[in-house]
Amino acid sequence: MKKTRVADSEKFCGNCTSHNAYEYPVQVFCTRRFLKNKNAIVQTLWHCEDWIQNAQDCHCVKDSKEQQK
Amino acid sequence: MRRTDILNEPVKHIRVKDRLTVDELVQQYANSGSFGAGRLSAACDIYERMLRDGECTVLLGLAGALVPAGIRSLVADSLREDRIDVLVTTGANMVHDAIEALGGHHYKGHWAADDFVLYKYHTYRIYDVFVPEEDFIKLDLKLTEMYDQIADEYRGRSLSSREFAWELGKRLNDPDSILRAAYEAQTPVFMPAVRDSEFGYIYNLHASRRNFKDALVLDAFKDVPEIIRICRESERNGMIILGGGVPRNTIQSAALATKSGIDYAVVVTMDRAETGGLSGSTLEETVSWGKLKGASDKVMVPADAMIAFPLMVASVVERLGKNFKRTPRRITESFRETVKK
Repeated sequence: MKKTRVADSEKFCGNCTSHNAYEYPVQVFCTRRFLKNKNAIVQTLWHCEDWIQNAQDCHCVKDSKEQQK
Repeated sequence: MRRTDILNEPVKHIRVKDRLTVDELVQQYANSGSFGAGRLSAACDIYERMLRDGECTVLLGLAGALVPAGIRSLVADSLREDRIDVLVTTGANMVHDAIEALGGHHYKGHWAADDFVLYKYHTYRIYDVFVPEEDFIKLDLKLTEMYDQIADEYRGRSLSSREFAWELGKRLNDPDSILRAAYEAQTPVFMPAVRDSEFGYIYNLHASRRNFKDALVLDAFKDVPEIIRICRESERNGMIILGGGVPRNTIQSAALATKSGIDYAVVVTMDRAETGGLSGSTLEETVSWGKLKGASDKVMVPADAMIAFPLMVASVVERLGKNFKRTPRRITESFRETVKK
């Protein structure tokens, strides 16, 4: 099944393939950054140049946006 | 043999009058002597004999997700109160012990939960127990730091899984932790399949960040002579197996290597023998290998270990009474020599 391409404005750490939950839903852990010895605990609604679309959607982005309201 | 030799002990029917203590209930099971009740009461008798035998080393094998399910404090207390001399466990159970030691939790869930919904909420399911993903991530981060420290201390010298468990226990400050209790009680913890758990993946994080240079080195074979020596230098060995798997095989193989076999055996499992897997293999099959003495005191209890083991411990603790003082194997010189840091 082909994934729909995500618009740049909807690219977030919380829908990137490298994320895991850290402080749900506001912060995630980024494996890629951890392995590069960078700060690996980042905001769910942030993203960096290494963003790769996650294969399966989770509720991180939706719940983090709701919490920000 | 005469017919009266066969029909000599009638089944006594279970009675529950007023309040019963756990051991009183187990004695009722013994009076029945039948099915799982009879086997559970026999298991309590055997565990009691192991603990009263001043020359028996008690080895507990832990497999299956018993720590997430709530057996953690019972095992930690049993280590501190000298009811276990050696713990052989899956790495995963100690991962879950460490998760709680670092402030994480396991939650009551449901076996029929929608697993794709759980996935979307970063929640893992172990039958009817839920674990938040962030508790694993926080474990990964903290243990990566610990791995870094241990690797820097050992400088390329390899650790056995027993030494690794010791180093983790030293660094975990939760008094309810199994690893911490074992460290304080100087009880060896062997994790023969340590890499097949989050510990293995944490290794990958730790080593990747160092480009696999000066990383922690665990030697899977280093445990083997240690556990064999413990069994060999013990006059008698008793095993309690919850589940089976690698921990059961590790204990039995150590006993085989001593050429004397295990003297007391309790196996609590729901697995079946017909598949040929070790977890369900009968204790008679174990005798055929020489891992268990033919004349051993043994029983297999077909039960959920989460039900049976707490009952066994409660029953035996009640029988032994407050004044019973067991001489733990760890105080013997040969044992200390074997497991010295």
